[in-house]
Amino acid sequence: MASQLFAILWAQWKALWNFRPAEGRTGRLLGILMALIWYGMWAMVALGAWFATETLDRERLRIGVPWGLMAVSVYWQLAPILSASLGATIDIKKLLLYPIPVGQLFVMELLLRAVAGLEMLLVLAGGFLGLLRNPAVPVWGPLAAVPLFIAFNLFTAAGVRNLLERLLAYKRVREALVFLFVLAAALPQILVYSGMPRTARRFFAQSPSFLWPWTAAGRIAVAEHALPFLVLLAAWTWLAWLFGIAQFRRGLSFDFAARSAADRSTARDRGWVEALYRAPRLLLADPLAALLEKELRSLSRTPRFRLVFLMGFSFGVLIWWPLLRSSADEGGSAASYPVLISVYALVLLAEAVIWNVFGFDRSAAQLYFSAPVPFWKVLAGKNLAALVFIVLEITLVTLVCLLVRLPMPGPRIVEAYLVTLVLCLYLQAFGNLTSLYYPRAVNPDHSWGRASGGRIALFLMLSYPLLGLPVLLAYAARFAFDSQAAFYGVLAFAAASGAVVYGVSMDSALATAETRKERLLAALGESAGPVVAE
Amino acid sequence: MESMPETPPAIAVRHLRKVYGEKAAVDGLTLSVPRGCFFGFLGPNGAGKTTTIRVLMGLAPPTSGAIEILGLPMPARAVEIKRRIGVVPDESVLFDRLTGREFLEFVGRMYALDRRVAAERARELLDLFELQSSPKKLIAEYSKGMRKRVTMAAALIHRPDLFLMDEPFEGVDAVGARLMKDLLIDQVRRGATVFLTSHVLEVVERLCDRVAIIHQGRLVMEGDMAGLRNGSETLEDAFVRLVGAERAVEKLDWL
Repeated sequence: MASQLFAILWAQWKALWNFRPAEGRTGRLLGILMALIWYGMWAMVALGAWFATETLDRERLRIGVPWGLMAVSVYWQLAPILSASLGATIDIKKLLLYPIPVGQLFVMELLLRAVAGLEMLLVLAGGFLGLLRNPAVPVWGPLAAVPLFIAFNLFTAAGVRNLLERLLAYKRVREALVFLFVLAAALPQILVYSGMPRTARRFFAQSPSFLWPWTAAGRIAVAEHALPFLVLLAAWTWLAWLFGIAQFRRGLSFDFAARSAADRSTARDRGWVEALYRAPRLLLADPLAALLEKELRSLSRTPRFRLVFLMGFSFGVLIWWPLLRSSADEGGSAASYPVLISVYALVLLAEAVIWNVFGFDRSAAQLYFSAPVPFWKVLAGKNLAALVFIVLEITLVTLVCLLVRLPMPGPRIVEAYLVTLVLCLYLQAFGNLTSLYYPRAVNPDHSWGRASGGRIALFLMLSYPLLGLPVLLAYAARFAFDSQAAFYGVLAFAAASGAVVYGVSMDSALATAETRKERLLAALGESAGPVVAE
Repeated sequence: MESMPETPPAIAVRHLRKVYGEKAAVDGLTLSVPRGCFFGFLGPNGAGKTTTIRVLMGLAPPTSGAIEILGLPMPARAVEIKRRIGVVPDESVLFDRLTGREFLEFVGRMYALDRRVAAERARELLDLFELQSSPKKLIAEYSKGMRKRVTMAAALIHRPDLFLMDEPFEGVDAVGARLMKDLLIDQVRRGATVFLTSHVLEVVERLCDRVAIIHQGRLVMEGDMAGLRNGSETLEDAFVRLVGAERAVEKLDWL
């Protein structure tokens, strides 16, 4: 009964067609532009693959194609994880109500995995066309290899995604997985900056082991011992299918609510944590204290926020470590790394606590408008909570840096705090507005995913240079005058301007909240179509 | 004379347990709902009603116990069961960016109705539930009562044998509620079974012929309405007596 699959696709198409994005025409154009840039970039890579596979001789293809296919597989499986987004998924909670056979849901899942790996399909298409036009390669080679290789990747991606989604629902496993991802992501950098060992270079100069699926696909593509490799690749694809469907089935029957309740029931009560949560009431009056306390409690219990926070001081340090280490060895400006890592951590945290501040509240955001609380206090409470976590993050970054014995001069630590906080002021000024203009409901239990829409996230990334300009000016002053005083003078001016900008933006946010509150609440309570973006 | 094979009950639950963390939301529930009956499943807040109904709908796996729906084991034959049940869950299962008609068509097709049949029934149900006046309106723009109406329409589109409904009348105006009740009574007359939860005991009293009461995850009573009321008692009196909530209302001095 493929009709159900078509019905899901039809409903998703209708949902997209009916969607009237809050950002209007400009937003849509921006989205199209971003998509063109992104996929245009990958189209260039695909053209490169086409050129290479069309012109290289058979011996080079024999070595190069398996490595290329391995890179495709690695990207396909790992890129969604490292970009902190598992990609779109079926809204199982709703579709489970209907009599849809698992097979059809799995086909839907495969289609979504294909969409998530669209870049790789482009690159494979480029390589495929190049091989077809290469006179040294028979046409049937790529025709046999590429479809099977795509199927292998789709099945594996479906399995990996479902396995990860379940694993990330376990409290301790989630944290352990983050560290594994961090190490996996940092490894290539460490290899590059620490100089690739000779054994590794020798390893890459030859074809990967013949047992791997990419080697098998590569050999079939260049028509070398095609039959045994075809059997091998078919076996890999069959195993991937078994893995994919098994994980998908387990995902369907996995009870996330029960898992989360189990974590909560085993959580110990820690008096000092409770004291920290209650600290705001010692310093502030209600309702601001109550709002801040609520934010501290709920954010620290939100898996998605915990993950980003954890990544800030672990991933942040590791990803920059090789660069900083080598720079420090050469007596360069490595001493700026506390600033670099802290700013990086701020960018990670901004996703959860600055750009879409009502995302985790979802429908509960109604309370902010129905309670007799001035709305500026709501925003201020959220901004203060973000500030608390950012200061905590910088402190943890400093401690981790000290732990891995990176030289940490005192003035640089102070600089890290000041620069990050000034930058944070500008981000929050802008973030209060984006939270009201581009609100998006976020599931706090899904630890992996983006808090703002993909296009908006890209737009924000492009805004960073502009928002960071005042801080950059401070560095420019230090460079131009070779003076710390000039640096701190400009930074102080940036902080004062930031306060003014924050105040103006708060006024604008208050007016916007009044005029857009209906749209805001509707967007936060919305659940679009059968497919949800993670 | 050969005896006729006995028709299995619409719902047969044995020793059902559903545990969240260390708390059993449903604790050893055993229940039988005969076919063709209007069954009320009652209990105070947090008693385990919604959890039970979610397990019956196949939305949450049971921790242990056996479930048979329309004679088929759940979840082993979940797809076959789901084809024959209509559901109104407690939380929204609507897709906000579809119109009411698009959503109903979608649901019809999920139950393998022919496209034309699904479209035709969607139109008729929208008429019946008075949702036709604004055909271009997205579900996101619907009021709470309209959302409930469209959910109810979706539960009816494939003419199921069993209805599982969690607070179906919540948020619906008197006219809509009356319509929904009449429809459900008609369905029971044609032989369908209705299993519903509701906090509005007057509604349950008027509609249901059998009732079960659950408290702290355990069944405290199951039987017909007359047996439950124990003579002159109202359902509310019986309910309060059975769930042990009959305590003096203490005044709060600040209230």
